[in-house]
Amino acid sequence: MLLIPALALLAACGQGGEAKIEVSDAWARPTRGDAPGAVYITIENKGGQDDRLISVMTDHAAMAMVHQTEMSEGVARMRMAGEINVPAESSIKMVPGGTHIMLEGLRTPLKTGDSFPLVLKFRESGEETVSVRVAEADEL
Amino acid sequence: MNLKRLRIALWLLVGLVAAGLVVFLWKQAETEQPAFSQTSLGTIGGPFTLTASSGKPFTSAQLNGKPAAVFFGFTHCPDVCPTTLARLTKLRRELGKGDDALSIVFISVDPERDTPAEVDTYMKLYDTPVIGLTGTPAQIDQVKKQYGIFSRKVSQPGGGYSVDHTATVILLDRNGQFSSTISMEEGNEVALDKLRRITA
Repeated sequence: MLLIPALALLAACGQGGEAKIEVSDAWARPTRGDAPGAVYITIENKGGQDDRLISVMTDHAAMAMVHQTEMSEGVARMRMAGEINVPAESSIKMVPGGTHIMLEGLRTPLKTGDSFPLVLKFRESGEETVSVRVAEADEL
Repeated sequence: MNLKRLRIALWLLVGLVAAGLVVFLWKQAETEQPAFSQTSLGTIGGPFTLTASSGKPFTSAQLNGKPAAVFFGFTHCPDVCPTTLARLTKLRRELGKGDDALSIVFISVDPERDTPAEVDTYMKLYDTPVIGLTGTPAQIDQVKKQYGIFSRKVSQPGGGYSVDHTATVILLDRNGQFSSTISMEEGNEVALDKLRRITA
């Protein structure tokens, strides 16, 4: 009799104690020449444990880094953001003018309609691969 | 007696100074008529010569006759610059007065990397007309000063550099006079109202 709630509790603990990462809505704007690109993604942690995005990589660029655009007194500054914390049961939506993944040294410029895989490495959940859609230049 | 003479002399002096002042102000009013007019709000703007993406010289007088939204940025800017240009092209479309009603102008704050050809390919990302301008470092410095724009090169880890810069859009009326600004944080409704005002 006591075993059933105990097992249920254990099961619930197991479920809540793990990070469950889902990455979606990954997109970038097209680029020209050797200019870098910016990727915007939505990260959802449906689990009960905090997780962290520790690195990003893609075969399509020499370097992929999480960057943050900071605005102060009308001046935009772009800085490396380091690791991104994704708390349990929360989500992070990257939008233009804020946090983004910068792709430096693109193998070929990003073209509207193309897509390419991006690998995101999380401390707890390991690697997640997402397909990045290259949108129109005027997508916001 | 002496006192009366002194009084007359003093009045004459006052009259002379007043006449001099009138002449001086008159002359100043005459000389203070720059080609590209100044604003009552200060001295934002002024005549400039830069280089168009075609490689040909481009003077500020070529903007006259049409209101303009002027944005300073650089082509190696992946987030803020394309976001602002995308926003401006969208706002112009929402305005519903056609591409001819408002010039969208991009001025590079990175003249070292942004050659006219580089600016040209960048502008061609948009399927709507955007005027892309660059120039010599001295020309860019001058136009930045005229429009109160800050920019600074910042080296990036792993080589290369980024440019911190003022991302505020400057709105000019059809006479090239400063009207108002659009900031990144501002809502689109407020921005549209400002655009309606200069395109009215």
